[in-house]
Amino acid sequence: MDQPANRLLFLVLLSFLNLPIYAAKVTLNPDQWGDPAGKECISCHKKSSAGLTAQWENSKHAEAGVNCLDCHKADVDDADAIKHEGVIIATIVSPLDCSRCHTTEYEQQKGSVHSEAVDLIKERLPALAGHVGGNAIVAAGCDQCHGSSVRVLGDGTLDPTTWPNSGIGRINPDGSKGSCSSCHGRHKFSKAQAREPSACVRCHSGPDSPDKAVYEASKHGMLFAAQRDEMALTNDSWVAGKDYTAAPTCVSCHMGAAGKLKSTHDVGMRNMWSLNSPISEKQSLVVFESGEKIELPESIPAPRRGSELTKADGSMGKVKAVATPARRRQAMSMVCLECHSKPFTKSFMRQFDDVVMLYNEKFGRPAEKIMQTLYSEGLLTPTPFDEAIEYTYWELWHDEGARARHGASMGSPNHTWWEGMYLVGRNFYAHFLPQVLAVAGKERGDAIIQSHVRSLDQHDWLNHPRRANPILGYGKGRPADE
Amino acid sequence: MSNWKLPFFITRHFLYALVLGGIAGIGFMIFLIEFDHLTSTEAFCTSCHSMELAAETYRKSSHYNPISGVRASCGDCHVSEGVFAATWDHFMGSKDLFSQLFGPDYDDPVINALHLPDAAFSARKWFEDRGSATCLRCHVLTAIQGNRPETNAIHVEETEGKSCINCHINLVHRKVPDQETFKRAQWNQMIETEFGLEPGTADRILSEE
Repeated sequence: MDQPANRLLFLVLLSFLNLPIYAAKVTLNPDQWGDPAGKECISCHKKSSAGLTAQWENSKHAEAGVNCLDCHKADVDDADAIKHEGVIIATIVSPLDCSRCHTTEYEQQKGSVHSEAVDLIKERLPALAGHVGGNAIVAAGCDQCHGSSVRVLGDGTLDPTTWPNSGIGRINPDGSKGSCSSCHGRHKFSKAQAREPSACVRCHSGPDSPDKAVYEASKHGMLFAAQRDEMALTNDSWVAGKDYTAAPTCVSCHMGAAGKLKSTHDVGMRNMWSLNSPISEKQSLVVFESGEKIELPESIPAPRRGSELTKADGSMGKVKAVATPARRRQAMSMVCLECHSKPFTKSFMRQFDDVVMLYNEKFGRPAEKIMQTLYSEGLLTPTPFDEAIEYTYWELWHDEGARARHGASMGSPNHTWWEGMYLVGRNFYAHFLPQVLAVAGKERGDAIIQSHVRSLDQHDWLNHPRRANPILGYGKGRPADE
Repeated sequence: MSNWKLPFFITRHFLYALVLGGIAGIGFMIFLIEFDHLTSTEAFCTSCHSMELAAETYRKSSHYNPISGVRASCGDCHVSEGVFAATWDHFMGSKDLFSQLFGPDYDDPVINALHLPDAAFSARKWFEDRGSATCLRCHVLTAIQGNRPETNAIHVEETEGKSCINCHINLVHRKVPDQETFKRAQWNQMIETEFGLEPGTADRILSEE
C-alpha cells in the first residue's frame, strides 16, 4: 500500500464503501416534519407518560420541531397501524420510518451485521433455544439482542412474545430490519449517549463478547474514563484526531469518522476477521447494487464488481463493491493512525492476528476436527447439547475462544489470557480431551487425540510428561530437568 | 249547583273510556318499564347462546367484577336510559334477534368470532352517536381518579370533543382493532389459528353465508 497508485485505489474504494459524505447532518427541508397534528400529543402525554415526554422535550428532535407524529405516523394499510386519538399511528418506529429523514444512516445499516443479527443465529437458535432454553428465553434473551420477528396479531395488538423488543436486527412489521433505539435510547435519541461505550453493553457483554469489559480493561478504556470530559461527545462533528483525541470509544473505531475516513452506520464494515465463529476467517464484505451485503470468507475468491453473486436470501444480485480483508483492515487502521504511528499500528494488529491464528490452529481447528470425527463415527448422537462434550466444545469457541480473540482485538491483556485463552487451554486439556476419551473409549480416543492434537507442534509438550516445572510444586528446590 | 256544565261530548261512555284508557296506559308504561328492565339483564341477554359467547369476556372484565362491587349488566351499557329510549333500543335490537333466528349460526364460536368485528364496530358507533351516554350513567368525568397522579387531570383537561368510547374501546369484550385499521385477512387468520382450522376456512364460511 505504499505506492501512490495503490493508495489512490484504496481511497477510491474506501469512498465506495462510505458512500454518504459525513456523519449525517439531516439535509431535508424542515417542511417535511413538524406535522401539526403531532403537536396535539404532548399535552396529554406529559400527563400519561411524563418520562418519555420529558426525554423528547430535551432532545434534538424537539429542538428541531420533530414531534411524536413525525416518527409514529402510519398508513392505515401498515400491518401494525392503530388508530389513536383520531390519528393513524404505529407503536414501532422502524429504521424505515427513521429513514424518512435519516436516509444515509438507514442505507448504511441495511445489510450490516447489526441489521442481519437475526439471520446470524438462525442455525444456532433451534438447538440452543429449543433444547437448552425455551421460548421464554428466546423472547426475553436471544431476541432482545438479536431482534425478534415482530408479529402483529389479528386483533391489531403486537404479539407479546415478540414485542417489546429493541434487538439490533429486529424484523419489523414493515419488513425493514433493525432497531435504531437499540443504541440510540428513546425518546431522547442522543448522539452523545450513543457514542458512549455503555451504548453497546446491553448486548456486547456476557461470556462471548464482553466488549465493554474488554474496552474498559484496555488502555483506551482507561483513558476514556479519566478524560471523559475531553471527549466532545455532544459535538455535531465528531472526527477522531480533530474534534477529540482523548480516547477512542467503540463507535470511534467501528463506525466513527477519523481523519479522511468517513463515519458509517455499518458497524462491521471495518472488521477483517470473523471473531465469533468456531474458526476465525478473514472475510470480504460484498455490497450489492440493492444495498444488501454479505460476508464472504477469504477462502472463496472475491467477486469482481458488476458480477452476479448469491445474496443472503438466496436470490442473485449484482456486486457493487467488495471490501477485501486487507482493505477493511486498512480502514480500521486509519482510525489508529490518528494517534499511533504506522509501525505501532501494524505491530498491534500483528499481535492481534497472532492470537487469532494461535486460537485457530492450536484449539479451534483440532477441536472442530475431533467433533466431526466423533459425529461421523457415531460416537456422539447428532442431537446437539445432549452430551457433556458438546457443551465443552461450544464454550471453547463461543465463550472463552471468542473472549480471547476479542481481548486481543481491543487490547485487554486480561481478557486475552486469563479470561480467554487460558480458559480455552484449560477446557481443552482438562475437559475436552478427557471427554473425548470418555466418549470414544481409551483406545479410539487416544488415536483421535494422537492424530489431531499430539501430532501438532503446539501440543508436543503433552508428549513429554517427565519434563518438570516447579510451577505446581513438583520438584521444588530441585533442578527443573530432574 | 253551579252552571258549570260538562261539554256535550263528555258522556258517560267517554268517561269510562278515559278511565280504562288511563289504566291501560299506565299499565302499558309499567309493562314497558318492566320489559326494558327484564330485557336488559344478563340472564335475558344470554338466553341466546350467541350472547353467552359475548358474556364470557364480559365476565372477565372490570365491569363485571370491580372491587367496588358495582356490576354493570348488559343493558346498563347497551340500552339507553329512559323508557322511550330504552324501548326504542330494544325495538332496534330486535334485528339481532332476527339475525339470530334467520341469519348465520352465531351460536357457533367460529362464526361468532368471525362476525365479532362488525358487531364491535356497530356497537362503538352506537356509543359514539350517543356521546357515550350510558357510560355517564355511572362515570363522572371530573370524579375519575385512577391510580396514577394525572389520571384525573387527563380526564378533565384532555377530553374536549371526545366521549368515553373515543379512547376506551376493548374494555369489556374481545379486542377488536379500530374499524379504520382493521384487516379482515389477519383477523380470519387469527381465528383459524385459534380454532385449529385449515387456512382459508374463514373465507369459505363467510362466503357461504
